Amino acid sequence: MTDPVHAHSVAPSVAAAPAAPAPAAPPAVDVRDLAVHFKVHRGLVSAQTVKAVDGVSFSIAAGETLGLAGESGSGKSTVARTLVRINRPTAGSVLLAGAETARLSGQQLRAYRRRMQMVYQDPYDSLDPKMTIKDAIGEGLIVRGVPRAGRKAEVEELLARVNLPVALAGRYPGQLSGGQRQRVSIARALAVSPEVIVCDEAVAALDVSIRAQVLNLLKDIQADAGVSYLFISHDLSTLRFMADRIAIMYVGRLVEYGTSEEVFSQPAHPYTQALMAAVPDIVNLGGPRPAPLPGEPPNPASPPSGCAFHPRCPLAVELCRTVAPPLVRKASGQLAACHVVPDAPEVTP
Amino acid sequence: MADVITVEHLTVAFPAKEGTGEVVRDVSLAIGAGERVGLVGESGSGKSLTARAIMRLIPRPGAITGGTVRFEGAELAPKSAPKWRGTKLAMITQDPLSSLNPLVKIGTQITEMLRYHRRLSRSEASAKAQELLRSVGIPDPRRTMTRYPAVLSGGMRQRVALAIAISCDPRLLIADEPTTALDVTVQAQVLTLLERMTAEHGSAVLLISHDLGVVGNFCDRLLVMYAGRIVESGPTAQVIGDPAHPYTRALIASIPSLQGELPDRLASIAGSPPAGGAHAAGCAFAPRCPLAREVCRRADPALEKIQSSSRTVPGDSHQAACHAIGDDTWNQAA
Repeated sequence: MTDPVHAHSVAPSVAAAPAAPAPAAPPAVDVRDLAVHFKVHRGLVSAQTVKAVDGVSFSIAAGETLGLAGESGSGKSTVARTLVRINRPTAGSVLLAGAETARLSGQQLRAYRRRMQMVYQDPYDSLDPKMTIKDAIGEGLIVRGVPRAGRKAEVEELLARVNLPVALAGRYPGQLSGGQRQRVSIARALAVSPEVIVCDEAVAALDVSIRAQVLNLLKDIQADAGVSYLFISHDLSTLRFMADRIAIMYVGRLVEYGTSEEVFSQPAHPYTQALMAAVPDIVNLGGPRPAPLPGEPPNPASPPSGCAFHPRCPLAVELCRTVAPPLVRKASGQLAACHVVPDAPEVTP
Repeated sequence: MADVITVEHLTVAFPAKEGTGEVVRDVSLAIGAGERVGLVGESGSGKSLTARAIMRLIPRPGAITGGTVRFEGAELAPKSAPKWRGTKLAMITQDPLSSLNPLVKIGTQITEMLRYHRRLSRSEASAKAQELLRSVGIPDPRRTMTRYPAVLSGGMRQRVALAIAISCDPRLLIADEPTTALDVTVQAQVLTLLERMTAEHGSAVLLISHDLGVVGNFCDRLLVMYAGRIVESGPTAQVIGDPAHPYTRALIASIPSLQGELPDRLASIAGSPPAGGAHAAGCAFAPRCPLAREVCRRADPALEKIQSSSRTVPGDSHQAACHAIGDDTWNQAA
């Protein structure tokens, strides 16, 4: 895989591609040094650049789930919105099945969007309230070029796939429960047979008893259709259940990236450790609770110098205040961006 | 010593075209001095309305249609609410942006409590407000007092709301989803602060949340609500470690954990909770319950102490409302 963008990247190169033994198929999604900057105007003359996402690289293999976690302002939703091209990447590349997509427009962009779908947190906002369920799902079929005659049957098939009764086809989103609406969003995404579905906090608004249903459904669909997920959630327990690999973001950058196994059994970055310690888990009730992390996630418009986490970090040393640490392989196996955590011993490739 | 709050047979209803419109049904609970009690339930379970009924803040056209709420043994008259609300009972909500007045500086919002309820002078109130803000971890209290709620972060706003709520040493603080809108690391801070502040001010806490993890780690005792009723109650360790009601059991099984074996699939509960006030006859959970029998669809089970050969709980503290419990003929595996 030749990669011109990667070669002259500013950040120390991170080989985000999985260490797959067979280099045959390219990953479903390969994001390299992605940057998304916004110009924020303050008054008439002064403008400021907010680096919502900066130097982010990751890849998702076909049929795999990458879990992306982070707090507000971490840039995780900007990554999602950039993948489906609501936002334009400022720099870097997004490869879909090996083909560069970052600069697509017009017809090609439309074709791309058919392959990369998104399910939002609140289906109440993302579904048209004046469109019946069958029309909302049917739209995707029109895009895919399914002839009128075949649409009804296929809508019913899609409803069945997300475990919704066909009787709901003529209803409006407002007449459904939250869980049902989210199933409709999933059916709608599936209608165009995408290769990748970005789920941005897709279960966050659902009741606990409904959440498990939808998570199981997403897993079933993946097993069936081989679709890849970028699954974004602030809830680490949900990510542990859903994801093969995990990426943790903090103020626009990845601070940790590895397999679910590596990250959850031995979180390397102090931020990941703090995030995990802060999860109120029902296993191990009444166990010792570590002191909560001080401070709040910084405003991405004015991130701290050096490592953005240093003002809240219990391990911070002088170097952390001035130099941003590169994302490198750590002794526990995954990649992490931290000066203090020991690196993996040098291995000549 | 009398309990701080005793709720008996509380029913709250909204006018409805169909059904009774009862969104809280026959809820009884008691909270002792300094106790931390958790109220868990999904949306529409009636947990927030139970809290609002205690505060006498049921939004119209809803109304308390039955039962009593007593404070230290005596009923609090709704008429004198401006006297007791804030001093005896206080409340913080999910989003302080909607409970704080957006047009009034933070300093004024704290000092007005202290001046009205405690009759402090302007300067005394200002000094006290600064002290309160410092104690909830606001870095520059003097400056913060001159600012408006909208310019603070969610975590800081919740700290301010807590400072106001605690300013008159309420006997009970009701915290309705206080950390739901916050990031996890900030949630941990606010919960730790809530624990410390209520202990220092001698306030009992009724913590309402949809998150079993949050209430489980914070509370001494839990109440589980479903479709307007309390279906299980007891010490936290028992309700979470040895849940009795099929709903509680299913709920716990459906939550992924950061620890332990990773299941291939999550246990899930079929169907969805009934809309508020629209439950059918019998046990409201019956349509989703794997154990339901004919009797469940006919008669609503009472909340009773758990007694069975397999479960012996000291005292009568662990209760559940389920026909199957204690009935050894009921094949639990069915």
